[in-house]
Amino acid sequence: MKPIARSLVFGGWIGRYLWSAWAGAAGLCCLAAAWQAGHEFYGSFILPSPLETLRAVGDLVAGQTFAMAARETAERSLAGFVLAVGIGTSAGVIAGYSFAAMRLTRPIVTVILGVPPIAWIVLALIWFGSTGGSAVMTVVVAALPISFVGGLEGVATRDRALDAMARSFGAGAWMRFRTVTAPHLVSYLFPAWITTAGTAWKVTVMAELLSNSGGIGGELATARSLFDIPQVMALIVVVIAFALITEYVLLHPLRDRLERWRDAGLRWGVKR
Amino acid sequence: MKLALEGVGHAFLGRAVFDRLDLSLDAGEVVALLGPSGCGKTTVLQIAAGLIEPLRGRVRRAYRQHAVVFQEPRLLPWMTTRDNIGYGLRIAGANSARREAAVERRAQEVGLHVRDLDKYPVELSGGMRQRAAVARALAVNPDVVFFDEPFTAVDVGLKRALQDLVIATAAREKFCALFVTHDLSEAVRIAHRLVVLSSDADGLIASRAIEGAPGKRSDRAVFEMVESWSRDPAFRELFDSERERAA
Repeated sequence: MKPIARSLVFGGWIGRYLWSAWAGAAGLCCLAAAWQAGHEFYGSFILPSPLETLRAVGDLVAGQTFAMAARETAERSLAGFVLAVGIGTSAGVIAGYSFAAMRLTRPIVTVILGVPPIAWIVLALIWFGSTGGSAVMTVVVAALPISFVGGLEGVATRDRALDAMARSFGAGAWMRFRTVTAPHLVSYLFPAWITTAGTAWKVTVMAELLSNSGGIGGELATARSLFDIPQVMALIVVVIAFALITEYVLLHPLRDRLERWRDAGLRWGVKR
Repeated sequence: MKLALEGVGHAFLGRAVFDRLDLSLDAGEVVALLGPSGCGKTTVLQIAAGLIEPLRGRVRRAYRQHAVVFQEPRLLPWMTTRDNIGYGLRIAGANSARREAAVERRAQEVGLHVRDLDKYPVELSGGMRQRAAVARALAVNPDVVFFDEPFTAVDVGLKRALQDLVIATAAREKFCALFVTHDLSEAVRIAHRLVVLSSDADGLIASRAIEGAPGKRSDRAVFEMVESWSRDPAFRELFDSERERAA
């Protein structure tokens, strides 16, 4: 494809992607309207209005401590995300190739998923003390099984007919993994990764709040003790914004690039 | 001799499919492997193509490269038609310039438009996909091609066109082929020699040379050959089970 044609295709994709944000914005506006209604009913002390909260967010972002706290939280959740996704996916992929490993690990995954993150935080506090390490560990333990199951299911459901086709041309194991299994795996991994990203932010803030180890969770603990409700709301909004950015600016575009072939068969009106 | 199966036997879960089967392909020869459903034709092909290991016997190969055309196109849905046709070459380690040239040439041979090469398989019709699958097999310049009932799912006109393509390419490039089918007239059109596999576990086979060269036989001759062979005891099972399946 010529560079001009390629940039046109890319531009078209960017345009479509940004345009689809309108629908998302409309959904968020509905939520804001309900929020405003709740505010009218209960008053500012219980539920500050969206506008008050936005103002508080402005003040918060302008403040000196925020950048530091946000960076701490971002680093911790990123570390947790990378470790959970890295270990979970690779272990899941390996287990997917072996029925014995699959049968052995399934119940373990269920057990780990059944333990609430809050319990892990308590354990992590005992093991790591009030440091960032306990937040990272909690994220890893809480989110790892999701990627693990994604990788496992993806490999287990690979198309064996396509695999045989690749073998008929003499493809080795690595080539077959790259061209036959991996593209199929992506559709299982992305939902897992998106869930992991959301979990990483939430659990990091929770761990920080409980372990009093700084970050946005630490700020939240301070705001709570001061009964600064707009500040609490503002911090919540910030965490949500971070989670939304991770999902829609980082993960979704990547997925769209990797799964272009899925869109190819759809008619125009059906495309997102 | 390019390929020889010697005393090959296979069983699935203890149930023997065939036993002590001998089959060989000479250079430039197209052999049609016929048999009713479930007699193990596809298994023979998979053993010959090295996709499964036979339980008994051995396979001798005296060639460089083979290719398989499956019953379904088996294109990779995440690759464009261009990349799919070039897939075998990519595995063989061909550079992109050589791949590109081979893809365009083979696509043209099988009747795919250049415009279709940048489409994904979902955007192609069933016939186009099967054409792409044939192009992918031919692109590696195979010495032996295995066809596993490749044209059962395409319409009559396209079936004929694809059969003619196989006949012409086999004659031009002198590859030999094992063509599995349950359609006697297809086998008679395409092949030099017929081999019939029985559904009995011993896999007793009849082998018949077909008069004339593929592509040179008239439709009338093909029809008459099929007509006379349909009364032949060696082929009876083929027609019996066809009836059974139709009922």
